[in-house]
Amino acid sequence: MTPGALPASVDLCSLEPGTHLCAFPTDEQQSAQIATTFVERALSDGDRLLYVASDEQAQAMLRSLPPHLDAAAALAAGQLQVRSFAEAYGRGPTDLGAVADGFRAAAAQTRKDGFPGLRVAAHMDELAALLGSVEETVRWERLSTDLQREIGVSSVCLYRADRLSGDAGASLAGEHAGASPERAERSLAQFLAVDEPWGLRVSGEVDLSNRDQLRRAVLSRAGVVPRLHLDLRALTFTDVGSLSALRATAASLPADGWLLLDGASNAVRRTLEICDLGHERMRVQP
Amino acid sequence: MTMTGATHTGLFYDGDQQYAESVGGFLRDGLEQGQPGLLIGSPHRLDLVRAALGSDADQVRFLDEADVYAPQWNAYRVQLDFISQQRGARARVVSEQDLASRVPAELVDYRRIEAAINVLFADTPVDVLCPYDAGALPADLLEIGLDTHGSVQGTVPVVPGPRSEDPMGLLADLAQVAPPPPGATTLDLSSPSEVALARRLVHSRGAEAGLAPDLVDDLALAVTEVLTNALIHGTPPARLHVYDDGPTWVCHVHDGGRGLADPLSGMLPPSEPADHGHGLWLARQLCTAVDVGTDATGTHVRLHAKRPA
Repeated sequence: MTPGALPASVDLCSLEPGTHLCAFPTDEQQSAQIATTFVERALSDGDRLLYVASDEQAQAMLRSLPPHLDAAAALAAGQLQVRSFAEAYGRGPTDLGAVADGFRAAAAQTRKDGFPGLRVAAHMDELAALLGSVEETVRWERLSTDLQREIGVSSVCLYRADRLSGDAGASLAGEHAGASPERAERSLAQFLAVDEPWGLRVSGEVDLSNRDQLRRAVLSRAGVVPRLHLDLRALTFTDVGSLSALRATAASLPADGWLLLDGASNAVRRTLEICDLGHERMRVQP
Repeated sequence: MTMTGATHTGLFYDGDQQYAESVGGFLRDGLEQGQPGLLIGSPHRLDLVRAALGSDADQVRFLDEADVYAPQWNAYRVQLDFISQQRGARARVVSEQDLASRVPAELVDYRRIEAAINVLFADTPVDVLCPYDAGALPADLLEIGLDTHGSVQGTVPVVPGPRSEDPMGLLADLAQVAPPPPGATTLDLSSPSEVALARRLVHSRGAEAGLAPDLVDDLALAVTEVLTNALIHGTPPARLHVYDDGPTWVCHVHDGGRGLADPLSGMLPPSEPADHGHGLWLARQLCTAVDVGTDATGTHVRLHAKRPA
């Protein structure tokens, strides 16, 4: 495909749920880089990430994930899931309706499992072979755009540019909202799911710019079990509004629910005290 | 006994003996009427009153001004907390800090506190006594005591010049805006994602100004709160200027709105733990002094941090 046909890169910081992105890497290294950047952002935001890839591709992505995202912990907590192409799209003659139903079910299960949203990164090179033609692939991508908007699932579809012929790349690109970037700025904070004890690990800085992400991540976890352990040991900054949002969340929990702020810094405890933000269902420990 | 609002009295004393007799007598009168007392002062002054009260001293809470007045809006919060702990019963508060050691920005803020208490405590059942060392303080500091108290007693000094009586008028006079100097470093902010950049600027420049890391952290939090207010409630553009101002380093937040035109904004904690309204309240608890003012260009909040001597 010609460079001129490449769609513009989007900003992953302001990705609306249900955005259908593409990427056309020219080699495996670039492919892994784009996938890792997308995965990093999804996990940081607290969403579940489904990675559709070969074993080799999955290993490469896991190796390049930065240490603060703790790939092993993300896999253990079910926040990061890896599936082969065949598991996600089937092996034989494919019923696209069944594939679509599969994604709908995965999105519903994501919420039941305590995540605010689902994102998918998928290596799509085998799809044309499975569906029989590039035209069918383009048709599937068109259906996907509507489906993803309907179920609020964002994705990046990775096609190796050097394996596409003619104007296939341009046709495929035309069915996506933009290109997923190779690199992106590290997010201000990370909201990582933890299974045992049930809750969330919050690291980085929380302020007006990402307060709503904190709120939606906490609410999603609390929707499954309303007794939440928030590991704040790696939280380096938080403003009053964010603590006030946590207090409001604690106040909205059922009577047997609670929010434990574990590893709360001196600064967090002092802000809670000065602003009188204590609540009987919000426990604080250093 | 009839419950009335606060009294706010300036006590001008000259020497240890007058201090001990006046303050001790004030607190003892309260105890005899079942009114708990709080005394904030230097360790030497606290000892004088302990001796004057004898065994009754156990019923009074004594706090060292060096701890309580760091920063001085904390002393105001300590007093508020003490009053609210009495659950409506009348209380007595005596509070004095080492005024002679304060930098100019703190003295301006101290004037504000003394003026504002007349309004903020109007319906609060408390008798507040503010001792002023008439034998040692210069005239301009004694003037604060003369200007801001409903009544004065003791060795009242004679300081020439007109006396202001209206606390809101005083507060308006103290809301004059000082523009940032030409050498200030300025950051323009248009979106919430840029508040983190403001914190980076405060951290790098605050360290260069010689501030301790803890103080820089406090200032970064205060700047975040005031900028957040400016971005949510103000009018763009929001700007942060940082610069030296004599003995303090200043983070000056400016926006185009007139959101803080009421000089009492943020002087009382929000009555409900809502999502907003804590910003200025918290900033005053973190900074050496906080100036708030409006002019034709909008709202200015100047957060001062005392630099190491």
